[in-house]
Order: sequence, then structure tokens, then C-alpha cells
Amino acid sequence: MRKATPAVLLAILLYAGFRSIGPLPPLGPLLDPANGVWASAAAVNFPARQRAVIPGVHDSVLVLIDDRGVPHIFASSENDAWRALGYVVARDRLFQMEAQTRAAAGRLTEWAGDRALETDRESRALGLAWGAERKAAAYDRSAPAWQALQAYADGVNAWISQMRPRDLPLEYRLLKSLPIKWEPIHSFYFLSRMSLTLGLNDATTRRLRAQALVGKAAADALFPVNSPIQEPIQPNGLGSARFDFGALPPPGAPDTQALAALDVRKHMLVALEPSNGGEPSDAVGSNNWAVAPSRSSTRNALLAGDPHLDLTLPSVWYEMHIVVPGKIDAAGVGFPGMPGVVIGFNRNIAWTFTNTGSDVNDFYEEKVDEMNHPSRYMLDGTWRNLEKRVETYRRPNGSVIATDTLYFTHRGPMRRILGKWLSMRWTAYEPSHEPDNFMALSHARSVNEWLYAMRDYIAPTQNGLVADQSGNIAIRSSGAYPIRPGDGRGDVIRDGSTAASDWKGFLPVDRFPFGMNPPQGYLASANQQPVDPRQNPAYMGSSWYSPWRAMRINALLRADASVTPDKMRLYQTDPGSARADLFVPLFLRAAAHADSIGNGSAKLSEASKILAAWDRRYVRENRQAVLFEAAMRDLATRTWDELSDSTARSRDGLSLLPEPQITFELTNTPTSTWWDDKRTPAVEDRDAILAASLVAGYDTVVARNGEPSADTWMWSNRRKANIRHLLRIPALGALGVSVQGGPGTLNPSSGEGTQGASWRMVVELGPEIRAWSIYPGGQSGAPASARYTDRLSRWALGELDQVLFPKTPDDLPRRRIISTLVVRSQ
Amino acid sequence: MFERIAKGVLLAEAFAVATFAFGWWTVPVIAAVYALVSQNPNRARVAALCAVGGWGTLLLLDALKGPVGSMASRLGGVMGLPAAVLLILTLVFPALLAWSAAKLVPTLRGSVRPAS
Repeated sequence: MRKATPAVLLAILLYAGFRSIGPLPPLGPLLDPANGVWASAAAVNFPARQRAVIPGVHDSVLVLIDDRGVPHIFASSENDAWRALGYVVARDRLFQMEAQTRAAAGRLTEWAGDRALETDRESRALGLAWGAERKAAAYDRSAPAWQALQAYADGVNAWISQMRPRDLPLEYRLLKSLPIKWEPIHSFYFLSRMSLTLGLNDATTRRLRAQALVGKAAADALFPVNSPIQEPIQPNGLGSARFDFGALPPPGAPDTQALAALDVRKHMLVALEPSNGGEPSDAVGSNNWAVAPSRSSTRNALLAGDPHLDLTLPSVWYEMHIVVPGKIDAAGVGFPGMPGVVIGFNRNIAWTFTNTGSDVNDFYEEKVDEMNHPSRYMLDGTWRNLEKRVETYRRPNGSVIATDTLYFTHRGPMRRILGKWLSMRWTAYEPSHEPDNFMALSHARSVNEWLYAMRDYIAPTQNGLVADQSGNIAIRSSGAYPIRPGDGRGDVIRDGSTAASDWKGFLPVDRFPFGMNPPQGYLASANQQPVDPRQNPAYMGSSWYSPWRAMRINALLRADASVTPDKMRLYQTDPGSARADLFVPLFLRAAAHADSIGNGSAKLSEASKILAAWDRRYVRENRQAVLFEAAMRDLATRTWDELSDSTARSRDGLSLLPEPQITFELTNTPTSTWWDDKRTPAVEDRDAILAASLVAGYDTVVARNGEPSADTWMWSNRRKANIRHLLRIPALGALGVSVQGGPGTLNPSSGEGTQGASWRMVVELGPEIRAWSIYPGGQSGAPASARYTDRLSRWALGELDQVLFPKTPDDLPRRRIISTLVVRSQ
Repeated sequence: MFERIAKGVLLAEAFAVATFAFGWWTVPVIAAVYALVSQNPNRARVAALCAVGGWGTLLLLDALKGPVGSMASRLGGVMGLPAAVLLILTLVFPALLAWSAAKLVPTLRGSVRPAS
């Protein structure tokens, strides 16, 4: 026995060394101090001087990494710059690049096995990979962006080929995988994914659900095409928000046809809950605004942007500075996996985006030749062949998990839903050249040149804001807006057997929501309805994001005739809320009314006292917002009890109720039948419901958090940002980060805290461009690196770093350079 | 004594260099070779100690160059282990590999020695 012990032990150790046991990777390569994780920790710090070889580089490229981890790339040609960029981004973010490519292409099972199958199936059934491959195949190979994508790929692959074992990112070790070779198509996969995140939402589902319960007239009023509170992106000259309120039609009889349509639509879009993940629209959202010289303290145009996306580690953005003398000198952020500055500035202009969220996808019921295995579909009396695509899903070891046959009409992917074959057309599938659009932005030298570069941009629709050194400011909601037949609405399922159902074309650019140098001296967007329907009634979508952030930033800018760059920064995390400003007085008035008619209570008095003490600002230390939010949640379910049945739940279990602005609209009709809570014998009115909600909110918070004096009432304990690692491994994320802001503020926060300002930037367009920026994370994707989360604490405090923007390598202070990389072809 | 120390240092270096050049699996190989040539009755223990020394040296070099502590915290979080346990495991692993290989060699040699 004793003689056998060494042999047994050695066998066990060798097995554990070579083979993975359960979720653990093989221990040998993992713990090897020369080539494993400890060595990779040693490799995260860049040496002071380095050389790299990238085949295809024509002239040497100098890359200076500053102490913020930003590469300043000085090249003599643009393609050489993209090669160098690909190299350094791969060095910092290789795993992230591949992860987002696999997510879009539906190839996560090759990492995660069977548990990723449904996710991959949805990605492929949505046509993300199909659409990306079509676009890539059709792309003009002589276009600058294609050349750039190839050069970028060269740089990425140069890094991969030169990687030492110690350079392998931790995530690959945990997944027991190695990186794939990078190709230009991967950048297109990423763009598809962004289109899904930003440009495929379907508010119609909520309307249909409501229609099934309370009839069409009521549903149309509760989920209107046009926002009842108008504070549009394109200035309408009113100087304040306009309230287009009317009496909401009472609940009507259930509409069974809507129920049938809902079931079909629900299945078609099972992966497409509202693009904000089902959160109320006042919990998420991006902002941007620009101030003309007339309102700027420095008499230079100012621009600020903070796109809100899923918060991840590493960040969705990668900061860079690209210099090719005479061609490009631009800084800002781009996406790991694509060349180019997407949001940023050059020596003349600055630009940024928010999401428009317009309706750019439609569904068609197709007539096929054979229900189970179709090969053709009918169009105008003629059978047309379906495009078929066999999708194979594999495990990490290459074995096949499943295969699917996907079908495509000329419109897009077709799926069988509840006995019908439905196809989807989506602008993300349209022939386009977004890479060229984005790359052209860095070359623009004026607002007009920038607008020209975006004139034929397709998807996802974006509210692009730009300012230049001449003091011009402009905003345009750019993208492809389908012109639909009939009433032009996009919220119906059309007859696919006739070409008359197809889109007639797209809105011309001169009909896009647009503003330039308005008399008001500023422009702002916060995902609100982009244009006043009284100025432009063209259908662009419905159920727009709540107007609260738009109202707040407009109010702040209107009140400030001398905006400073620091004010621009402070506004990005401003804790004020138009929503709270409107609803708090209603609660207090209802409480006072209840008291006056003898319906008060000790709890109501206490709740009212707490709420009255609130300045309606969502600062970390406040102890009242938690009560207000609980009361608002109760108000929604109590008011809209007619809609709160078991079917009114999204896939994520969230109640899909009208937006708070509709509730506010209803407060103008205090005795509307909507106020009556059908679950009680009494007939309630507005004030009774408001008072009841305030008491219920108080009870909820006390039960959950204890007495009002408890620290658990403090807002900083309730709302936190949770920045998750791409693999959702808690130890690699940054969870529970206390932040200022709440629902409806300019720094909105959701209950889960997984969305937020992915980037914040302020730019002053003076004779010398000055810029400040930050994002929640760091430039490195290596969890052990000091640059993994080095920006996080300042981001949480609303601070910005000054961006270094040297014109030449010598302009970058030596003490700010942590590493120098020289790239050559050999 | 100095000779023994010097030999120990050389052996530790051999573990380190072989791991650096070829990988972790060289640990039992080096230990086996050592056990073959050494007359030390405690060769298994010596091999284990020197393996710890070799890997410990490499680990120290890593720590001097980069945030090994931070990596240990992160990886420990992923695996549900304290960072210190991971670092200890990194030294125990080669120790056990070396000990078992060095212990095994004389046993095998004894089992194939022709009967006298």
C-alpha cells in the first residue's frame, strides 16, 4: 500500500495537471508560474519600451501609452494606424472582442456548451450573423473602411501570433480555449449586435396586451404613438415642455383579435423584450447636449455626451487617439473590434450620440408551399424560392449539439410561430456602410462636413450631436426610417403575399429630425421623441422614452446663460428629477385632502411629512427617495389594475404598465373611472389612490428597511451600479458601486444597476480643443491589471479626467508616458 | 554543508528553468532524473523542497514584475478560495509532483533490478 502511494499520487496530480476537473481548468498550465496565471499577472504591466512586428506596416508606427492607458498612435498612413490600433486593442481586450463576436454570431456554445444553445439559437434565428455576412459580402472592397477593417485585423492577428503563453487572458484559461483568428466579418458581427441592443425594440407588444384587456381606444391612449409631454430633440420654439393632455378613454371590452396577434408577436420577439431589458424607460437612457457660444461662459461651443449602455467589465468602449499628419487627428472612444473613433473629437469638431429608438422593423405573414418544410413563398401570385441556411451548434470539443434550418425571404428571416410563418424586415439587414460612416466622422472639419458624413447612415438610428470651433451646433436623428404603405404605422403584421405590403422606401434626409444653431442657444437629446408631431407627423416609432431627462436638461440649460465646462460635467450626474417635481406635490396634496375629509391616518401623516422634507434630488444621502419610489410603484399597479393580470408580465416577470407620464396625464381627470381600484368595493378617485399609494409605499419601505431613521433608507444603500464581467463572474466584476441619480434623472439608475453611463465626455471647442472624459472601468481587460478598474471610483463620483491630446509625440509630457511601443513590418 | 546547499540551489534552478522552457510537466521529470542520480536517502523530500524553491523563485519574479496579489484575489474569487490558498496550492502542487516522482523512481528501479 505504502509503495503504491507515490504512484497513485503522481497519477492523480498528472491527471489534474493535464485534464480539467469539472469547471476547473487543468491545474498545470493554470498554476505554472512561468506560463500560467501568475506569469500573466506579470505581463499586464507594459514594459517601458517595446517593439512589435505587424506584417503589412509600411512605415514605423509610434504608440505612446499614457498613464490613463490611452494609446496615442502616430502613423504616416491611416491603415498603418489601424494596424497598430488592432494590435494594442487585442493586447488589452482580446477576450472581449471574441466574446461579442461569438454572441452576435451565435457561437457561444463553442465556449459554454449546451447551456448557451437557446441564446445562440435566438441570435441566429434573428439573422444577426446572416445580416452581417450579407453586409460584409456586399461591402465595397476598395472602400477606405474595408481597407481599415483588414488592416485592423492584421494588427489583431499579429498580436495573437506573437502572444506568449503568459499573455493568454485569464478568461481563455477558465474556458479552456484559445483565441480565434480575427477577420473583418467579426466587426460586422459586432455591428449587428449593437443594432440589436439599440435598434430592435417593440413597444407594440405592450399596446397589444393592453388592447386585449381594455380595447383599442384605451390601449392607443395608454401607449400612444406620440408622447403626451413634448420636449422634442428638434426645437419647436416653445421654450418649455408642452403637455398634450386629454381625457383618457375609459377601459373598453377586451379585444380577442389583439390577443391572437399578441401571442404571435410575443413568440416572434421572445428574445426582444424592450431593448432596455424590460426596465421602465425612466430607469435607463443616454443624454447629449451642446451649448452655443452665446450661452457658454468661455464663448466657445461646448458639447457633452453620456451614452448609457449595459455596464460591463471591461467597458464596451476603448479610448484612443489616432494621428496621421494631414489626414486624421482624432481622440475619443471606439468599440474593441472595430477601427475608428465612434464618439470623440478632432482638432475642429466634437460629436456624440444617443439612441433614437425608432420603429425600424416589421413583420409579414408569409404564405408558403409546405408548412413543415417550406421551400417557396408566395409573392404577387408567383412562388419564390426561400433562402435556406443550415445552422450547426457545436460544443467546445466540436461535437454537434443541434442543427437548425433557417429560412429567409427577400425581407429577412422567417420563423414559424403558432402555426404561421412570419418574416421580419429590419433596417439592420439593409445594405449599408456604417464602418465608412463612422470612420468619416474623424475627418470632418465642420458641422456641415460631419452631417454630410452621416447623410446615408442606416442603422441603428442615432441622435447625432456635433459642435465645431466656429461655434456651430447641430443635431440630427440619422438612420433609415422606413416609409410604410397605408397609414404608415409599423405596429401591425402585414400580408407578406403581396409586395404592396413592403416598404416604399426611406425618409429622405431632409425630413429627419434636425436642429442647427437654434435661437435658444443649445440642443439636447435624451432619447425623447425626436420631433414635435405638430411639426412633422411622419411615423418614426411610438412609446418613446419618458420625457423626464429631456425636461430636466432643457430646464437646466434654459436657466443657465453662462454654461461652463464644469457645469456640463455636473449636469451629467444632476440629481434633479422632473418626474419627482411633478408627482411629489400630487402625493402631498392628496394626503392633505385625505386629512381634511377625515380620511387621514398616522401613517399617511408620517409618510407625507417624510416626502415633504425631500428636495426631490436623488443624492446619495437622501432618505426620502426610497419612499417616493415605493409609492410610485404602488401607484402604477393600483391605478392600472385593469392591466395587472397574470398575462401582463414580460419574460422577465416585469409588469408592462403605461409610462408614468400617462399616469400624470390621468391626474388631470380626478374622477376618471381608471382611478377606481376594481379590487375594492369602494369607488376611488385620484386623491384616494394617491393617498393609498403613499401609505402602501410607506408600509413597504418600513417592512423592508425598518424605521425611517435607519441607514437602510439612505439612497446610497438602495441604488447601486453593478458592473458585471462579460462572463457574469462576480469576482471579476465591480458590484454594489454607490452612485448618484435615480429614475428619471440625467443619471438614471435601474433596480438591477446593470445599465448606466458607459462613457462621459465634455469638450470645449475653443482655439485649442479641451476635453474631459471617463468610463466605469479601465483600458485593460485583464482583471489583475491596475488599469482594469482604475477609472471606476472617479466615475462613480461624477468626475472626469482631462484628456491628453498631443499634436506630436513630443507634446506628450514624458512623465505621463508609461510605455512606448514601436511597430514595424519586420 | 555548503555543497549540499549548492546542490539544492542547482536543483531548484533546474526546476525553474525547465518549467520556464518547457512547462509544468517537467517537474516530475526533473525529480525523477534527480532521484535516479542521487544517493541521498531523503531524495524525495529534497526534490519536493527544491521544486518549491524553483516555483517559488518564479512566483517571486512574477510578483516583482506584476500584480500577483491582485490576480490571486481575482482568481480566488472565481474559484471560491482565499487568495493565500491559491498561492500555497501553487507551491504544494510542484512539491507533491516532485516528491511522488522522486519516491517512485527507486521503487521502480528496485522492481526491475535483476534478482541476484
